[in-house]
Amino acid sequence: MSRLVNPLAPRRAVPERTRQIKDWVRQLHALDDDVTVSVTELACGEEGCPDIETVIGIMRPGQKIETLRVHKPIAEVEREDIGSHG
Amino acid sequence: MPDTQPQIPVTVLTGYLGSGKTTLLNRILSENHGRRYAVIVNEFGEIGIDNDLIVESDEEIYEMNNGCVCCTVRGDLIRVVEGLMRRPGRFDAILVETTGLADPAPVAQTFFMDEDVRSKTRLDAVVAMVDAKHLPLRLKDSREAEDQIAFADVVIINKTDLVTADELRSVEATIRAINPAARLHRAERAGVALTDVLDRGAFDLKRVLADDPHFLDHEEHDHDHDHHHDHDHGHHHHHDGEVSPIHDVTVQSVSLRGGEMDPKRFFPWIEKITQLEGPNILRLKGIIAFKDDPERYVVQGVHMIIEGDHQRAWKEGETHESRLVFIGRELDPERLKRTFEACQAA
Repeated sequence: MSRLVNPLAPRRAVPERTRQIKDWVRQLHALDDDVTVSVTELACGEEGCPDIETVIGIMRPGQKIETLRVHKPIAEVEREDIGSHG
Repeated sequence: MPDTQPQIPVTVLTGYLGSGKTTLLNRILSENHGRRYAVIVNEFGEIGIDNDLIVESDEEIYEMNNGCVCCTVRGDLIRVVEGLMRRPGRFDAILVETTGLADPAPVAQTFFMDEDVRSKTRLDAVVAMVDAKHLPLRLKDSREAEDQIAFADVVIINKTDLVTADELRSVEATIRAINPAARLHRAERAGVALTDVLDRGAFDLKRVLADDPHFLDHEEHDHDHDHHHDHDHGHHHHHDGEVSPIHDVTVQSVSLRGGEMDPKRFFPWIEKITQLEGPNILRLKGIIAFKDDPERYVVQGVHMIIEGDHQRAWKEGETHESRLVFIGRELDPERLKRTFEACQAA
């Protein structure tokens, strides 16, 4: 194998952290089962955007998606981060 | 415990009403190819097959970051995929049909951005179905028709029996002008081999460009030019390499060739380019030869999302050449060429 450091390696998913974040969002926002929660780690290159943030979409049926932002990577998001935005 | 479930492959099928998309969809649902498909469609009405794994979905654009195209996904797909994943074992692949007016970028980006969708599925390929007879009109009418071709890994030129040989050549040249990296297939009545459409691995870094020895060589192979593979052509590049006789394309492709690259120059360069030009880059694909690296490195991207990895060892006698194609709008070919060449190893 090559020893090249690969900055473009596909980012590994962290399903257990994602599940945890979704559970917190469901509890704190008292969401029904028919609501989908989306969790995305964004590294947007646009000027003025944080280097990395976790974007949480609360997708209630028939309603506009509500977005919560936490300026941390998924791996560092805590329950308090979600509560403070709720 | 990490999730060990295999990722479900997803094929995105784009194309206008009347292009033959539904005929192809019905073939995929009815022919024996060993896979059970869940299908996400815009309208039930078009599909003649009764299948409880056909899910209707209304396009819902979700801008995660104030209109930034690179951070825009399809909310409806996140909802539907999550719903489908509650029914494991019922299907082993997903097909997403989009309308002729759909922007393919948010569709593709959904499969790279949402954590759950990304971990449970993998985008296999974007397939564009075009109607050979009506393509010139479609391109004149809409930017989406051009985007769908620009985004595609596979383009099926359907209804070839309705055009003359000259018209077909002209249609092919137009498609090549928009997207020199896609695989082109001609078909009548959507009669394309399903192996050319399904399980393409177009976003799989272990497979992307692996079976395409003529990547970026279309100008030599599509026409009956001499197949002179004189690799002493140095840092050949071409942009808008093919001239479209029927349409002034707004999408341009910039194809770059170089020698062995210095990773310390190349990585910061590609990261900066995709950061600055991300909104203008629809797709990028390439094979990179790094100096003193026994393996070839492949890279692929959609807007600002870019992934790369080693693919396989260079074969004996294989030219250690770097090739990269950008497909997008408002790209600066001269600047891309100059800065790409500056990444070469001394």
